[in-house]
Amino acid sequence: MSAKKELYTSDAAKIWKERLSDKLPAEWRVNVDEFESDIALKKLGKIDHKLFAETRLRMGAYGQRYDNGHRYDGKEVRPIDFPEAFKGPDTYWDAPGMERIKLPWGGLNPEQMELFADLAEEYSDGICHVTTRQAIQLHYIHIENCPSMFRRLGALNITTREACGNAVRNVSADPMAGISPTEAFDVTPYAQALFEFLLGHPDAQDFGRKFKIALSGDKAGASGLVNIHDLGLIATIKDGKRGFEYYVGGGLGAVPYAAKLYSDFVPEDEILPLAQAICRIYGRFGEKKKRHRARIKFLIADMGWEKFKETVAAERAILPHDERWSSYIKDIKKFDEQPATKPGKPLLATGDREYDFWVKTNVKAQKQEGYSAVLITLPLGDATSNQMRALADIARKYGPGTVRTVVEQNLILRWVSNDDVAAVYQELKKIGLALPGAESILDVTACPGTDTCKLGVSSSRGLAGELRKRLYAKGPDIADAARALRIKISGCFNSCSHHHIADIGFYGISRNVGGYVVPHFQLTLGGQFENNGGAFGIGTGGIPSKAVPAVVERLTEQFVANRQENEKFREWVERTGKATIMQGLQELIAVPAYDADKSYYVDWGDVREYSVKDKGIGECAGEVVTLTDFGLKAADRELFDAQLKFEKGDAASAGVMAYRAMVLAAQGLLKEKHPYISEEPELVMETFTKDFHDTGLFHDPYAGPKFYQYYQQAHAHKGEGLDKERIALFLHESQLFVEAAHSCYARMSLTAKKDETEEAAA
Amino acid sequence: MAINLQNIQWKLHLDEATVGDHHDWFKVFGTWIPGSPEVFVDVADYSHVTNGPIIFLSGHNEAYTLDNTTGRLGLLYERRQPVETENPETLKASLKTTLTHAAWIEADATFKVKPKFFAGDVKFIVNNRAIAPNNDETLAALKPELTALFDAVYGAGNYTLEREQDARQRFSVYVKTKAPVSVAEALAKLG
Repeated sequence: MSAKKELYTSDAAKIWKERLSDKLPAEWRVNVDEFESDIALKKLGKIDHKLFAETRLRMGAYGQRYDNGHRYDGKEVRPIDFPEAFKGPDTYWDAPGMERIKLPWGGLNPEQMELFADLAEEYSDGICHVTTRQAIQLHYIHIENCPSMFRRLGALNITTREACGNAVRNVSADPMAGISPTEAFDVTPYAQALFEFLLGHPDAQDFGRKFKIALSGDKAGASGLVNIHDLGLIATIKDGKRGFEYYVGGGLGAVPYAAKLYSDFVPEDEILPLAQAICRIYGRFGEKKKRHRARIKFLIADMGWEKFKETVAAERAILPHDERWSSYIKDIKKFDEQPATKPGKPLLATGDREYDFWVKTNVKAQKQEGYSAVLITLPLGDATSNQMRALADIARKYGPGTVRTVVEQNLILRWVSNDDVAAVYQELKKIGLALPGAESILDVTACPGTDTCKLGVSSSRGLAGELRKRLYAKGPDIADAARALRIKISGCFNSCSHHHIADIGFYGISRNVGGYVVPHFQLTLGGQFENNGGAFGIGTGGIPSKAVPAVVERLTEQFVANRQENEKFREWVERTGKATIMQGLQELIAVPAYDADKSYYVDWGDVREYSVKDKGIGECAGEVVTLTDFGLKAADRELFDAQLKFEKGDAASAGVMAYRAMVLAAQGLLKEKHPYISEEPELVMETFTKDFHDTGLFHDPYAGPKFYQYYQQAHAHKGEGLDKERIALFLHESQLFVEAAHSCYARMSLTAKKDETEEAAA
Repeated sequence: MAINLQNIQWKLHLDEATVGDHHDWFKVFGTWIPGSPEVFVDVADYSHVTNGPIIFLSGHNEAYTLDNTTGRLGLLYERRQPVETENPETLKASLKTTLTHAAWIEADATFKVKPKFFAGDVKFIVNNRAIAPNNDETLAALKPELTALFDAVYGAGNYTLEREQDARQRFSVYVKTKAPVSVAEALAKLG
C-alpha cells in the first residue's frame, strides 16, 4: 500500500474523528476507538481471523455473499481476485460486507434518517434496507469505512455495538407503542431501559449465540412478536400497577419454539434484574460449542422448564443490587410524544378509489383522537437515500418527527393529524412511496437471501419482487379475505423473514431434478402473525421457485372460494387438510425437463443458471431416476403423512412416522453406495454415520453436522414417548433432515458430474 | 483549500428511449465480472425502488450502476478505493473509464434496444462529504481542474457548468454541452 493511500484513508477518517469524537457518549467513543485499533492490529497480523470476526460482528459488521472469494457465474465457480488479506476465517478483507445498525424499538428521528441517507450514498449502494427486527442494514461496505460510519452514527445517538455476534441484539418493540388503542401502556421506555442496561453488560458477554428481546403493548395483536423471542415482555396492569407478562425461550430459526410464560406479572422495577439473571444463566449453562444447540431455547429444553425457572430465581436472589434496575422509571415520561399539529376530523371515504384503498391499508387510528399513524410501504424493505431525506422532511412537516421501523420492513409515521393524511399521501406519491397494501398480502416480506446473504439457498427477494408485481397488478380487486393474508419468504431455513408465522411462508431449498439442481421453496402454511406470532406454520411441500406465483394464486383462490364464514386461513388449512391442498397444487409444481423449459433452472431475479449444465451426457431430464431419488421421495411422502397424522390429532403416530421418514432419507442416500441396504434402523444409522457423518459428506456447508444430529437424537427416541409439543418440534427436525438429504444428494450429483466432465476431457 | 480527490463518481446520462429492458443490463454487467481487473463481485437488482439505482454492479475498486436517481437515467461510475494520482490525472482517467464502459454498453449485442449515451450531459460527484462539502469553497477549489478537463473534451465555451444547490446532497456539478456529443467523440478528445 502506498503512502498516499494510507494518507487518504486516514485523512477521511481523521476529519470525522476530529469533528465528532466529543459528540459521542464516552463509552461509545472508546468502543469505536478500540475497534479502529483492532482494524490496524488485524492489518498488521496481530489478531487472528476468528477473534477479529467476532469483534467486527459485535460491531454489526457482517460478512456478505462471495466474501470467500468465489462466485458461481452460471457455468462454474470462479475466483474473485481479492488480495490475500482476511477479516475472518475464509473471509477476504476487501470483500464488501453488510453493516447492521440496530435501532432500539425501531425509533428514528429526521436527523437520523438524513444521516442514513448520507451513509448509504457514501459507503454503500444508495439503499437503506429495513430489516425484520427493526434495524437498518447497509450493504457493500468496506470494513475500513466502519469507524467513520460508527462515529457519524454515534453522534446522533445510534450505536451498532452488539448488532450482530453472540450478544443481546436489537431490543425491538411494537411500532405502535404509545399510540396503540389496544395497548396496556407504552412499552418504549422499558425497551430503552433494557437496551441501555444490557448493552455491554458484563453478564451478557459470554453467550454461545445471539439473544433477542421484544416488548409488546398488547397480547392479541402481532405487536412485538414476543412469542418468537428469546426474551419477551407483554405489558399488563395488575392492581393498578404496571408490569409485564414475562416470556423466555422463543425463537424461530430452523425449528421454531414458542416462548414459555415465566411469570404472568413481573413489576416494572423487576424486569431488568430478572433479565440480568436470565443472561447469567444463559451465559453460564448455555451451549458454547455446538452452535446449533446454543440458543436459550435449547438450554431450556435440555435443563427442563422447572429447573430453568428455579435456577433463574436462585440467581436473581443473589444478584448484587444495581441502582439502574429502577432508576429509569422516574424518566419514563420523557418518552411521551407530543403532537406538533392539531387533531383532525375522522377520516371518511372520498370516492377516490386509489386513495381510499391506501387509507384502508396504510393508515391506523391512534388512541389519541384525531391522529393517525401512517404506514409507509417500502418495496422489499428498501428506501433510496433521496427517499429517506424526503421522508425526514415529511416527518418534520406533519408531525413531531417520530418515525419507527416496522418488522415487516416498513416505516411508520406517527402523530399525523387526520386533516393532514391526504397531504401526506400526496407527498408520498411524489417520491413513489404512496404504495397501498401495508400489512397485507401485497406487502411481501423477504430476507436478503441469495442477493447478499452467505446462507441463502434461493432468491427470496427475487421471488418477493415477482410476487409483489403480480399482486399489486390486482391491488384493490383482491378479495378482502385473501388480502388479509401475509406472505413471508426466507432464502434458507433460518427464518429471517419470519416465514414460520406467515399465513403463507416459504423458505429456500434446492432439489435435484434429472441431474440438475433446481431452485425450490418449501411451503409452510397456517402460521399466525397475530397473538404476538402465536402459531407456526408447518412444512407442506417443496415448490419449484418458478411455480410459486401460480401456487400463491391457486391457494388464495381456493381459500376465498371454500372458506366458511369468517374462517381464518389457518382454520381453513386445518379443516381442508394439507393432502387436499397439495392435491390441488400438483399440476402446478411439476418441473419441466431442462430442454423443455430452462426457465425453471434459473432463479427469480437472476440470469445465471442455478445449476451446472450437463455438458457431456445430455440426457433428457426425468430419465435418470436413481434408487436415491426413490428413497428421498419415499421420505418426503412419509413425512407428509406424518404431518397429516399430527393435524388429525394422532401425534403418537406422527412421531413414529417422522422418524421413519428420516430413516428412509438416510437409507435413500446410502443406496448410492449400498443399493441393497435394508431399512433396519440400527444398520441404517450405523452405516450412515460411517459413510456420511464421519466423512463430513452430509454436513451442511454452513450448519455443519446439525441435521445429522437431529437424526442421531431421533434414533435414540425413535419418535416414541414424546409429548405433543415435542412432536411438533420433531416434525420440523425431520423436515430439515430430509431437506438436508436432498441438498446432500444435489451436492453429490454435482461432484459426480464434474468428475465425469473431467474424465471426458482427459 | 486543496482537495485530494477521492471517491469520485461520473454519471453519463442516457437517451431514455434507449434504456430497454433492465434485465439486459443485469446480463451485461454479469458478463463483466469473470476475470475483470476491477475485481467486480456481484450484480444487484433494485428495479423495485423509485428513482434510485436500478442495476448495480458491485466491485472492490469500482462500481457501475444503471441509475435513475433524481429521475434521470444514466450510467453511474464510482471509484470506491483510494487513487494515488494527482487530481487532473484522476479526473481524466476516471472520465475515460466511464466513457469506455459506456462504449462497451453501446456496442453490446445483448441489448435488444441499443442504449445511447449523451456524452455531453454528465454529472460529476465527489462521494465524500468529509473532504468535499457541497459549497462554493469546494467548487472554487476544484473548478480550475474541472474546467481544464471539460475544455479539453468539449472545447472552451461549448458547455455550461452548474453546482448542485441542495446543501444536503453531495458536492456535484452538472455539465451540459450546447451541441450533442457522442461517446466516441468524447473518448477521441481524451486520447
